[in-house]
Amino acid sequence: MLAAMVDLARSLVRYRSLLWTLVMRELRARYRGSVLGFLWSLLNPLLLLAVYSFVFGVILKRSDLVDVEPYGVFLVTGLFPWIWVSTSLLEGCTSLTANGGLIRKAVFPVEVLPAVAVAANLVHFLLALPIVGVALVAGRLLGHSISGWTVVLLPAVLALELVMVAGLAFALAALCVHFKDVRDLLGNLLVLAFFLAPIIYTLSDLPPQFARVVQLNPMTSFTTATQDLLFFGRLPGLDAWAIMAAIAAVSWVAGAGLFSRLSDTLAEAV
Amino acid sequence: MSPPAIAASGLCKRYRRTAGGYRLRTLKSALLEGSLTGGLGSGEVVEALTDVGFEVAVGEAVGIIGGNGSGKSTLIKLVAGLLPPTSGELAVNGRVAALIELGAGFHPEISGRENVYINGALLGLSRRRIERRYDDIVEFAGLGDFIEEPIKYYSSGMYVRLGFSVAIHTDPEILLVDEVLAVGDEEFVHRCLARIEEHLAGGGTLLVVSHTMALIDQICDRAMWLDGGRIRGLGSTRRVIDAYLESVAAREGEAHDRRRLSAAAAAASKEGADGGADGDGAEVPTAADGGEETLRWGSGQAEIVAARLLAGGEREERYHLHWGEAVAFELEVEPRENLSDFVFGVGVKTPRGIDCWGTNTDLAGYEPRLLSGPVRVRLVCPELRLAPGEYTVDVAVHARDGRAYDYRRRALRFTVAESTALGSIGLYLPDHEWQVEASAERAGGDEAEGDPRPTVIDWLAPGDSESQGAPRGQTRNAGGKAGAPSDQRRNE
Repeated sequence: MLAAMVDLARSLVRYRSLLWTLVMRELRARYRGSVLGFLWSLLNPLLLLAVYSFVFGVILKRSDLVDVEPYGVFLVTGLFPWIWVSTSLLEGCTSLTANGGLIRKAVFPVEVLPAVAVAANLVHFLLALPIVGVALVAGRLLGHSISGWTVVLLPAVLALELVMVAGLAFALAALCVHFKDVRDLLGNLLVLAFFLAPIIYTLSDLPPQFARVVQLNPMTSFTTATQDLLFFGRLPGLDAWAIMAAIAAVSWVAGAGLFSRLSDTLAEAV
Repeated sequence: MSPPAIAASGLCKRYRRTAGGYRLRTLKSALLEGSLTGGLGSGEVVEALTDVGFEVAVGEAVGIIGGNGSGKSTLIKLVAGLLPPTSGELAVNGRVAALIELGAGFHPEISGRENVYINGALLGLSRRRIERRYDDIVEFAGLGDFIEEPIKYYSSGMYVRLGFSVAIHTDPEILLVDEVLAVGDEEFVHRCLARIEEHLAGGGTLLVVSHTMALIDQICDRAMWLDGGRIRGLGSTRRVIDAYLESVAAREGEAHDRRRLSAAAAAASKEGADGGADGDGAEVPTAADGGEETLRWGSGQAEIVAARLLAGGEREERYHLHWGEAVAFELEVEPRENLSDFVFGVGVKTPRGIDCWGTNTDLAGYEPRLLSGPVRVRLVCPELRLAPGEYTVDVAVHARDGRAYDYRRRALRFTVAESTALGSIGLYLPDHEWQVEASAERAGGDEAEGDPRPTVIDWLAPGDSESQGAPRGQTRNAGGKAGAPSDQRRNE
């Protein structure tokens, strides 16, 4: 198990140029033939943001649950990382089954495929980060006391989140080869995870009995940490960092172990 | 001695059958044992390869032949490392390129150029290496400007050409080819073959799967015949191909064979052994292969109890001939009942089944009246005009409407000896000669006085020495030395 997690990481480093080439293929191919092209990387999350802002910030606004201003800026800091995580997991899950022809016909390190899904979506997320920056600056200019120097710690949270997402993607990809059901199951779990994470509401405003449930969601730690750094301008406590690190480690070890255990049989089962 | 490029022993590969609902069990087995088939019974798995053992030396070219589902592609995939063997040992020494499905990993939406880089990376080439070889790759694929277009607009031929080109430019030590040349056009196939020959000439190793026997014959040192996942034949290319084709023909023959009388069987296997008893007997599968007997069909109303080839003026039984010899195809036919409708026929083919020449008594205008006892029929050719090579002979006795009494495919085989003096290509080789003479008197006074025929062509006829150089060449090619009658070379 432990050897597998080191081997997997080492393999990804060794094949980084292939990884990067395939990420570029994903990025190039995704919007090829569309008029707006790469702008969709920005437009997609913005449109989603607009929908959520309107629904939860206007129609379903409950000031007892959401006591943050400006709501739209708060939403950005939780929603954008969530989009990265959820699309990474969905694409990572199908990364092997979708490339079945390739796996059966070409000899190459299969483990790059889930990694490509995660990395390509990370690039989309990073490209959309300026929007977050603009939103934060706009919020401050409008006189809200949000954000601060703490944003410089964002890469640390993202790094831990990346490890968690990658681990889950490896596990899901390998399982999906054997059970296509995993993909549908995942779609529903992600909906659950979205609403059980403090993205459209704040954890502190929840009644305690609900807050305890929400805290069981691994995404909660990462979401609150990101919001702390970006929106509230405060440092997450040491316990928060420890929990995130633990989640990342467990996810990677489990994902790498499962993937390497199943990798021998992938070409046949896919 | 260097280790073999590929060494396999006791190789087995089992696949699970997916029709049943054992997904949970296969997952459990995959997790616990790293195998998909661990927890499955014999009815739930398919054994694609059974106890396959062979070695391929460095620089050797081995062809794999066999019917569909015989395990050829599985074997290639095991060697390529795409699949792990279920059991057995497999050692592969050298950098492998597997041309299994060309262009696997091409993305339809992006240009050929970008796909070259991606495909190259998938095949293990560094970006710098691809950049260095990029022009070669594009030129070899012969796509021209099209390289900038998205792959989705490529024809299947263009797709495969680009895929082959990238794969071959990875400079493999061991090249694995699985029936990928079928898609390209003639010109590209020739280019690929030339490239494969280069690979071999450079000391590379080749393992190729193909249903094109001519291809295997042309490029392989040895052939392996897989049948039902087992090695049925492994050895010299020609011998294995022949054995395989015999077996295919035999299987086809069986379908025609239902009504055959059992009495024919004994004679057939005896004759089968005779057919392979000439000097090159080792190259011809023997009756022990079981193919000979079932290469015949017919109602049995008449039976060809013997067929032989008589050569030369003395009519001795011989299967190694020289060009231009007199030959006679002799059939001994016994009718089982009185027949008023019968035709005797002989057909000469190449081992690959191309008809060279055939005739029968009906075509020749003989009208049958009665056949009531054993006869010896001879088809006599004063001079055999077939080019050097191997030939097979079908013999038959049948009704005028074509219903076979006894049809024997490949009843005989013979070779026409190779000889450099015969310099020709093709199957048919008539007696011929080159003649040339000046077509007009040359005008002008710069020729020496008294020379009535000025020199306009100067060459040496074959066999002429320098001093005998004649301005006018008259060269008999087929007969060897100029003017030598061909039948004098009969027994050389």
